[in-house]
Amino acid sequence: MNLQSILSILVFSPLLGIIVLALLPKTQEKAVKAIGILATLPALILSLAVYAHFLAGKNLSDFSISVPWIKFRGINAQEPFFTVSYELAVSGFQLVLVVLTAIVSTLAAIGAAKFIKKEWKGYYMLFLLLLTGMLGVFTAENLILFFIFFEITLIPTFFLIGKWGYFEKEKAAYSFLLYNGLGSAVLLIVIMILFAKTGTSNIEILRQMMADPSGPLKDGFKLGLFIALLIAFGVKLPIFPLHTWMLRVHVQAPPSVVMIHSGILLKIGAYGLIRFGMGIFPKQFESLATLIAILGVINLLYGAFLAFIQTDFKMVLAYSSISHMGIVLIGLAAMNEAGIQGAIFQVVSHGLISALLFFLVGVIYERTETSFIDKLGGLAKGMPLAAGFLLAAAMASLGLPGMSGFVSEFMAFLGLFKVEPWIAAVGTIGIIMTAAYLLRAVLGMTYGKARREFDGGLDLKGAELVPVFVLMLLIVLIGVYPSVLSSPLQATLETILLGLGG
Amino acid sequence: MENAWLIPLFPLLSFLLLLLIGKRMKEASAYVGILMTLASLVFSILVLFERFQEPSYLVKFNWLTIGDMHLTAGFEVNQLNALMLFIVSLVSFLVHTYSKGYMHGDERFHIFYAYLGLFTFAMLGLVISPNILQTYIFWELVGVGSFLLIGFYYYKEEAKAAAKKAFIMTRIGDVGLLIGMILLFWQTKSFEYSEIFKAVEAGSVSNTMITLTAILIFIGAIGKSGQFPLHTWLPDAMEGPTPVSALIHAATMVAAGVYLVAALFPVFSASKTALLTVAVIGGFTAIFAASIGIVQTDIKRVLAYSTVSQLGYMMLALGSAGYVAGVFHLMTHAFFKALLFLAAGSVIHAVHTQNIEEMGGLWKKLKWTAPLFLIGTLAISGVPGLSGFFSKDEILAAAWEGGHPVLFILALIAAFMTAFYMFRLFFMVFTGENRGNQKEVHESPSVMTLPMLVLGILAIVGGYVNTPWFGSFLGDWLVDGNTALGHAHIEGPAWIMFAATIVSLAGILLAYLIYGKRSIAPDWLSGKGGILHTILYNKFYIDEFYQITIVAITKGISYFLRFIDVFIVEGLVKAVTGMVQGLGNIGSKLQSGQVQTYGAVAFLGLAVLVVIYALTGGYLR
Amino acid sequence: MSQVPASAFLALALILFCIGLYGALTKRNTVIVLISIELMLNAVNINLVTFSKYGLYPSINGQVFALFAMAVAAAEAAVGLAILMALYRNKKTVHIDEMNEMKN
Repeated sequence: MNLQSILSILVFSPLLGIIVLALLPKTQEKAVKAIGILATLPALILSLAVYAHFLAGKNLSDFSISVPWIKFRGINAQEPFFTVSYELAVSGFQLVLVVLTAIVSTLAAIGAAKFIKKEWKGYYMLFLLLLTGMLGVFTAENLILFFIFFEITLIPTFFLIGKWGYFEKEKAAYSFLLYNGLGSAVLLIVIMILFAKTGTSNIEILRQMMADPSGPLKDGFKLGLFIALLIAFGVKLPIFPLHTWMLRVHVQAPPSVVMIHSGILLKIGAYGLIRFGMGIFPKQFESLATLIAILGVINLLYGAFLAFIQTDFKMVLAYSSISHMGIVLIGLAAMNEAGIQGAIFQVVSHGLISALLFFLVGVIYERTETSFIDKLGGLAKGMPLAAGFLLAAAMASLGLPGMSGFVSEFMAFLGLFKVEPWIAAVGTIGIIMTAAYLLRAVLGMTYGKARREFDGGLDLKGAELVPVFVLMLLIVLIGVYPSVLSSPLQATLETILLGLGG
Repeated sequence: MENAWLIPLFPLLSFLLLLLIGKRMKEASAYVGILMTLASLVFSILVLFERFQEPSYLVKFNWLTIGDMHLTAGFEVNQLNALMLFIVSLVSFLVHTYSKGYMHGDERFHIFYAYLGLFTFAMLGLVISPNILQTYIFWELVGVGSFLLIGFYYYKEEAKAAAKKAFIMTRIGDVGLLIGMILLFWQTKSFEYSEIFKAVEAGSVSNTMITLTAILIFIGAIGKSGQFPLHTWLPDAMEGPTPVSALIHAATMVAAGVYLVAALFPVFSASKTALLTVAVIGGFTAIFAASIGIVQTDIKRVLAYSTVSQLGYMMLALGSAGYVAGVFHLMTHAFFKALLFLAAGSVIHAVHTQNIEEMGGLWKKLKWTAPLFLIGTLAISGVPGLSGFFSKDEILAAAWEGGHPVLFILALIAAFMTAFYMFRLFFMVFTGENRGNQKEVHESPSVMTLPMLVLGILAIVGGYVNTPWFGSFLGDWLVDGNTALGHAHIEGPAWIMFAATIVSLAGILLAYLIYGKRSIAPDWLSGKGGILHTILYNKFYIDEFYQITIVAITKGISYFLRFIDVFIVEGLVKAVTGMVQGLGNIGSKLQSGQVQTYGAVAFLGLAVLVVIYALTGGYLR
Repeated sequence: MSQVPASAFLALALILFCIGLYGALTKRNTVIVLISIELMLNAVNINLVTFSKYGLYPSINGQVFALFAMAVAAAEAAVGLAILMALYRNKKTVHIDEMNEMKN
């Protein structure tokens, strides 16, 4: 097989599943579920194969593919052709995210078989479309292609939330679509301006063009574009005060969708900020670094304090996501190796941890039909495994060493302390608060007197154990041996830092 | 020593094994734990003896690469580490053995052993860390081990609260350590102890920075070692099973703070201010906790406050530049305090209550436990001849020589109080009439008494490794000519020893008069100084103070932010959507449904366009 | 033979168109509206024929288009009347201002 076509196969393999599903009758529940899960596997296997290829010391650029796709002339004949190419590639950073996406998606598909109670066929078809969108977002080497995939992720998510969610699902779906639609509108404007002014939409060429001081854009204009990007991806991340949509989504969407949403979709914001914000506009990023650091600390503390008083465990987790995304900003604002690496680690680590947490919440909700902390309590008696894993996941989330959360938090703060010790010192309050709100919530649910009698056999069992074990294993693996994640990142880091230093 | 890294791995293996298959093994799980810690103990002893003859040993490898910085992990065997390895693995082994009897019949027996394994792994890892980052990693892990074990009886609300409190309060300290560590890193470009010491010695770190980082790191030690003002979690931690209290909250983890200060001693000794801070906090905690311990009625809480007080003692020693004294007391304290806790556990096992007012007259019924408890009590009180006497004497000498007369007097008073409350405990539990209603009181099985016996012997002879009479072997070995660690032995004036002896005997005598012979009414304190007793009994209302300040402020901020979230952020969003909706409403009025209106409007628009086109000639400029 | 000037044709077309427009926009009876639309179409046809004769590049194209437009107009009238019949059967009215079902 041609190495160059692997990425395309990787990205579009879920579509195969959609076709097969379309041919299946709705009533064959088991077959639908099986196909839905199986269709995520090619992407998983291929992404792991690419990772193995990297581990074998080969070059990741072997996979790059570039084919001219759309070509058109400008308004008058003198202008050169505008070309949009179909370009896919992976760098270390992208590879990490692709692997993360593939893993979490497979696990979420397994989870969906459990959590989704109706119309599996439609669910899995949308889900697989979403998967294609996400994989495309992380592999696109071209802004326009990126934008197309970005939009592809929005629409299935809208329907997944709106149709299979809980009581206020429509409202949640609409606010999701509104905010993200606005964000992508801003993004589209930025992309179009860049394309019109430079005649290219290839990210690498743009990066070089922007680094050139005699390039086509003035500095002030670049700053404006960067701020627009910050807003566009700030909605996605989300950055305070653009976060309220995400609370609703986390509470109302079905658990298997939240696993994807919190685990991967939010990460697109961070990915965009790093790849485009930092990659294309390094100087502008630098001039706003202090502001971003402050925004990061605000996110961190705001989320943490609000999580402290929530009564619904899903809300605790939603605010905790806001808080943890603050750490991404903190790391990026440090503008040094430690900080950026910390931010990327946080992206991956939070993806795994929040997927695990939401899976467990889904399981608990399914058994008890509530996720309110004061209605639960003493779960450790009825479902010891679930309670144990919930506690372990909370520990990972609050940055316990030996788990992935610590490595990222540590590196982000290590980076920021070098440049902004005071802001960082304020941020460390967040570390304490994280422990406080997570323990309050988790102990409230699992420890103490059992609020009601649980029959036996409520605990995690069978296929439910697969996602839990896999995620936990990865979390611990990254925590104990972070090189597994940091080695693919080195090349990306060098490129970014070159832009900052040059 | 090359295989010292195996020592922490045995308990880790025990943890993993028991988690996976412990449920099926039931109480046989104990053997896994005991065997694994025995292996650790054997290796630790070998390492300790090897270290007597060979120089320190250090291995490291790359753990994480950040750009051109390489963070390493590895292990180091130096004098302090070897000693700590021995203490930790010994106490852990004994507690593992003891627990087999104590926890008998618990339905989560294997989980208990698994947690014990996790904790032992973390603690052993902590003491062989060659760099401060790795120390921090294991530092947090021991915190989790402690958290899990305090909350072992998860269905008890008190245990849940205590576990949460322990974790969060130590976390506050840990953040101090984290900041201090990171600041130190950017000053010295390394987490390695050796590199840090080199940089500090070379004077490449400014004095203010050293003071700042040292104090921040000390905050970590305050949290872990239960020093004032972060001490309140330690007495509450007694909600955990008693063997846990012996292992974690007496002998090992709480001593980690002392170990940390000792391990970073060259940094601390480079700053007078930092040392003074350590000494003052230590001295104050020593007397503060001792005064609370006098009036408590829960046998474990008395011991807990005693632990806080003794840890303050060790801090005082380190702060007075008495490196050897601090580490020495750490060792002897580990022995006699573990002994006391295990003996207390044995008492609780026999009478099923923790309230000393419901005990009494147990001397005859507990043939083994009682004398062993007495040994521990004598040792902690500083009666000449037992281990506590020598280490306490060393600390007092260090405080005197360190030029802190006030702290010296505080330490003396604390020693008096210690002797008093410990013998109050002893007399109330073992002498007089039985005030409880226990029908049958049985001595514990030998699996519980044997570990106590071992500790009892060590509590007696442990002090003889470093005495003014038979030579300061331990001090010489620990310091080994390293000037940064201070003198191997501090030669205080001879009267200090007599003063210490008199003070402790006076404490014992007073306790005897009140609780043994009962020639002074036991309620004279609560009767005469009613307010004082109430204040002491309520632990100076520190918990309540935190409740109305820190907790309330945190909640206040949270509710304020929720107000912002709900009204301002959401309000803005609502305002924007409302505006759009209003515009839409106006626009929708145009859609009357009358085709003719549409036609008219379209025609008008066309006409306007044509007029504009005619006037401008097709170009809008 | 003196030629009739182009402006006369155009003026006729303009007048026809304006009458048609007025009718289409103001009359309540749907049949009248349809007739008015036919008027407007015929005005356009006159324009097409005029320009095919007097235009910048005279050719047969304009007349062909006029024929084409007539054919389309016939078809449109048939469909329009059919819809009208259906509506009348349902609503018992031919008044256009009562046919605002598309609203809301």
